[in-house]
Amino acid sequence: MIVFEPFHLPFMARALVELVVLGALAGTVGVLVLLRRLAFVSDTLTHTVFPGVVIGHLMAGDGGIFWGALAAGVVTAVLLTLLTHRRRVSEDAALAMLLTTLFAVGVVLVSRQTGFTSDLTAFLFGRVLTVTEEQLAQTAVVTVLVVALLAVLRRPLLLRAFDPEGARAAGVRVGLLDLVLNVAVALVVVAAVKAVGTVLVIALLIVPAAAARNLSDRLAVIVPLACLVGAVAGWLGLVVSYEASVGHGVRLASGATVVLVLVVMYGLAHAAGFVRRKVSLSRARRAVVESAA
Amino acid sequence: MSWLDSTVHRALVEAVLVGALGGVVGVFVVARRLPFFTMALTHATFPGIVVAALLGVNLYLGGGLFGLLVVAAVLVFGRGRGQDFTTATGIALSGGFALGVVLVSAQDGFTKDLAAYTVGDVLAVGTGDLVATAAVAAGVLLLLALVGKELLLAAFDPVGAAALGLPTVLLDFALLAVVEVTVVATVPALGTILAVALIVGPAATARLLTDRLAPLFPLAAAIGVACALAGVWVSTQWNVATGASIALFVGLVFGAVFLGTAVRGRVRRAAAVRA
Repeated sequence: MIVFEPFHLPFMARALVELVVLGALAGTVGVLVLLRRLAFVSDTLTHTVFPGVVIGHLMAGDGGIFWGALAAGVVTAVLLTLLTHRRRVSEDAALAMLLTTLFAVGVVLVSRQTGFTSDLTAFLFGRVLTVTEEQLAQTAVVTVLVVALLAVLRRPLLLRAFDPEGARAAGVRVGLLDLVLNVAVALVVVAAVKAVGTVLVIALLIVPAAAARNLSDRLAVIVPLACLVGAVAGWLGLVVSYEASVGHGVRLASGATVVLVLVVMYGLAHAAGFVRRKVSLSRARRAVVESAA
Repeated sequence: MSWLDSTVHRALVEAVLVGALGGVVGVFVVARRLPFFTMALTHATFPGIVVAALLGVNLYLGGGLFGLLVVAAVLVFGRGRGQDFTTATGIALSGGFALGVVLVSAQDGFTKDLAAYTVGDVLAVGTGDLVATAAVAAGVLLLLALVGKELLLAAFDPVGAAALGLPTVLLDFALLAVVEVTVVATVPALGTILAVALIVGPAATARLLTDRLAPLFPLAAAIGVACALAGVWVSTQWNVATGASIALFVGLVFGAVFLGTAVRGRVRRAAAVRA
């Protein structure tokens, strides 16, 4: 079978495990990102982790990347929460400034090094085929942590997403809750960035949840569906990129191929959602006509 | 031997042009809350530029045409149920960029091209780039001089603009097209990610400094030009990436003004309380 055969190779198997775990994790967090319209916040976090990666690498080599990214992620999550609670600058302008400034710090630091371009590319697109077992363990720990956090806080988080005023009235500490969610997104970015790069992280956080939202209106369906879409896209993307490079001699970057598979799945879900609404609308119309007759 | 033969001189001229252009267009971007959309456009023009390079046609043309496709995709996907403009923008951003990466990765010299595109290189602009940027700047300024008032009205009061009988859909499209042309002109110098800095930053800073509309444009343009020039100077002095040092200056100026106005507001409020 073409869809299973590539994964007999150990490095492909590791890449598969990493992408499936990340797909499921990002799908879960992504539903909240979708409900709260935090797409731009997620995009900002993916870029602001970069200076942390660079500084961590400069100070402690490859082992420092995870901790540098973690520190930068948490610091930006705090800054973001503070900035977006002030109303002096519109939220998206503040985000754009934070994103570009911190990213520029990273680029300035990197541009002093030799091997500048290859480092930058690795950061932007990741190296999923060189994932180590240590990285898999880090990803697994982060996944357990984030999913547990969201499971414990699911009621206040959902209340805050749908009815912020009500949440405040019910005594929920909205500022703290926003910080928790921003940190959760930052953790996903940190767990994923070395393996899959910033561009893929943002796609994993946004696209599966948006696709699932097209197919259902019920949250209990959307969350598992988003996990499934994220995981399946990771798998199919790896298969396509492996087949293209081994079978047909066309090198396709694996991370970017996964994103394209995700976008195709979103397009299909969009079409399916359109048809589903049309069908249920005509069924409802028929029911009205029959009951009138 | 003309003055423009030196790389540094060309970079300075390009910096002045994109600084002024980004500052003026940025006022609209900030007023219409389009920073994320601008971000998406910078990423999504990437495949267009790659395809244009492969086919050997004009890079600006390729990027511009593909950008229009992205605008259309965002408008279509953003209308779905439970979807919104932000999500659609995010999808267009990652999808467009991934398409560009897949196309580039099938070529040789992958990492070098990509880095030049993502962080830009203002020191590598040729006379042709300068002419293109100047033409875009002239066109955009002319358009803004002609319909700037209507665009501003639509930005601050869309309902009122529609009630006055202005063609709001056409105005929206004109604004998005202006943003897109600006992005296409800025990206070769600054790169995808940092072009946003020069479009959003000066305007956001000017917004902090004044609440009046008239000084907003010259102020934003001046800040943009100053940051761009300072960035080029620093990068030639200390050999760091030019686009990044420009973006860093924009960020520093914004941060300083943000803190400064916060302190000023606090002092004034304290004075008012005492009085």
